[in-house]
This record gives sequence, C-alpha cells and structure tokens, in this order.
Amino acid sequence: MAVDSDLELMLRVRRGDAESFEVLLRSYRAPLVGFFARMVRDPALAEDLAQEVFLRVYRARHRYTADARFTTWLYRIATNLALNAIRDRKGSAARAEAAGEVGESEADRVPDPNPTVEQRLMLSERERMIRRAIEGLPENQCAAVILHKYQGVDYLQISKVLGVSESAVKSLLFRAYENLRARLEPLLKEGQL
Amino acid sequence: MNVNSNCLEREQIFSHASKMLDARKENEVRAHLESCAACRAIAAEFDKLDAVLDAWRPAEPSPGFDARVRAAVTASDSAKPRLFGIHWSQFVAPACLVVLVVVATLVVFERRRPAASRTTAYPTAGQAAPPPKQGSALPAQASAPADENELSLYQNLPVLEDYDMLANFDVLSELPKGEKKIAN
Repeated sequence: MAVDSDLELMLRVRRGDAESFEVLLRSYRAPLVGFFARMVRDPALAEDLAQEVFLRVYRARHRYTADARFTTWLYRIATNLALNAIRDRKGSAARAEAAGEVGESEADRVPDPNPTVEQRLMLSERERMIRRAIEGLPENQCAAVILHKYQGVDYLQISKVLGVSESAVKSLLFRAYENLRARLEPLLKEGQL
Repeated sequence: MNVNSNCLEREQIFSHASKMLDARKENEVRAHLESCAACRAIAAEFDKLDAVLDAWRPAEPSPGFDARVRAAVTASDSAKPRLFGIHWSQFVAPACLVVLVVVATLVVFERRRPAASRTTAYPTAGQAAPPPKQGSALPAQASAPADENELSLYQNLPVLEDYDMLANFDVLSELPKGEKKIAN
C-alpha cells in the first residue's frame, strides 16, 4: 500500500485532478468491495456501499487534510457505513421476526438469492464455517478482524478507524482470535489447510 | 512438552504472532519461545488459525462497478449549484468575511459620530415649530414640544366673536379654563 502516493493523489483530487481520482478508484475498488462483502455478506449491497465510499471521498475532497493516512480515512468511512448497514439489517430482521415472518437465521442465509455456479463453488464448507465464525463475532471484533486479517490494516490504523486506543485494539483482536479459535476448532484439529 | 513456570500470557503470544510487539518485547518473547515448548505450541495455534482464515476468499467487484462510480460522481457534480465554475461552498467564507467587515465598520462609524448628530434637533422654547403636516406620523416624543408651542400661539390670538366656532375648536378646549379669554 503506497501510503504517501495515496495521500498525494488525494491532495491532487482536492485540486481538481480527475485522473488522480481514477487511480484511487482502481487501487481501492477491489479491497473495498472485498471488505464490504465480508462485512455485510450481500454482494450487491457491498458494491453499493463501496460506491458510496468513493462518492463520499469525492464529495469531501475540498475538506481533505493530510493529517492522517489516506487508508485510515478511507476505512473509517467504510467501517462506519458497514456497521450502519449491519445495524439496519439486524433492525429489519428483528422487525420481520416480530411481525411473524419465518425465515432462515442470519448465519444460514445465503447472500445472493441466485448465486452463480462460481459463487456456489466459492461457498465451500470450510469457507462457510469461517464466514459464520467471523460474522458471529461482536460488531467491533468482526470489523477489527476483517481490517487486520483481510485488509492488511495495522493495529495503529485500526485504532484510528474504530476510534479506540491502541491497547484496546490489541485486546479486541486477541479476544476476537480466541473466539475464532474456539469456533473453528474442528478445522484446526483436522488440519484442513 | 516442557512447561516453564515463567510461561507467557496467551495475549502476549498472540501479539508476537500478530507482529504487534515493540522490539524489546519481541526479543523477550522470542527468547522465551526458544526454551518453552508449551508457549511455542500456543504460538503455532495462532499461526494455524491465521492460515485457516486465508480460505475465505475476497469478492471481486463486478465489471460495471467503475462505470457506476463515475456516473455517481458525475451526477453528484452536476447536482450542486456552481457560479462561474466554482463550487458554492468556496464562496461561503469570503462572503461571511465581507459581511463581518461591513457590520464592524458600521458599528465603529456609529460610535464615533458626535452625540448631537445622532439625536433629533428639537426646537427650543423660544422657537416656533412648524405645524405638523397632515398624515405625517411623528413619534410621540418629537411631537410633544411642537404641541406646546402651537398652544402658546393659540393663547395669544385676539379675542374672537364667534363663540360657537370657539367652543368647537379642539385646541382651545384643551386650554386651562381660567386662562380662556372669551367674550360673551
């Protein structure tokens, strides 16, 4: 992740350089869609949210200041959007349950109602177990693990993204990985790598 | 498996496995792991968990993603009002500054004006104020001295013969009764 160049690109976007925005879009579209897909499980919603992040970045370009790493700013926007989407979905699910609508549980729900063959293959049993284990974590632990493990964001940045202290992030990650270790024990024992 | 009485806490081993330790702590943990099989086993568990988690592959953006972002950005640009190609928000700060300077100038100018020029010049007791124009809405304080002068004029009028006219004359009816000089 080219930290300084991203920051410089964003400063150019602020000055009205559209090409720099294109470079940022190409660099971060896959990481952001991947992040949201893991956070919200719905591929269509993941793309909508990733698009919203780019739109917010563009709209806020005049207010951008180079006082933090670009990725910290980007993932702060993304994490807030993801957590809000999860809360909205939980609220909708709770309302549906209260209204007596019978449906499958959150963990069992397949994101896309019509998954392609490729998507079916991707949802292998092992992958499904991991997904369920991470999704079953509390919100902050889930976000911290996805940022740390899959997005390659270091714990200092995670502390700024989540708005907590560095020691709190270390503790959060430790509890999250301990939870995952317990939940994924069958995979760890079988040595399925 | 040798269990050392000075075994590390699991969180410390996790921090080592996740590369979250500073150099001094990292060296301490490494030194301990070399001599402690139990702690090495815990570290291996964390490494294994990390490897297991790799199986969750990332989703890829769909082919039309970039185009949708560009369209959203363009729509966002065209939706906002612009003046001479400059975004409205860029006018806010200068406009506020201009308003502030104008208000401050007016306040300072008003305070520096002489007191006499700020108040209405009332006629003195010896001066006769011109009668108010019909339909003019003068403030109550400004019209009071003018009324007194007007009454003094009417008091010095020569004796009039027509009682009916005098009796119906509103201004004279307001005069003190003892001072009326009406010839019957």
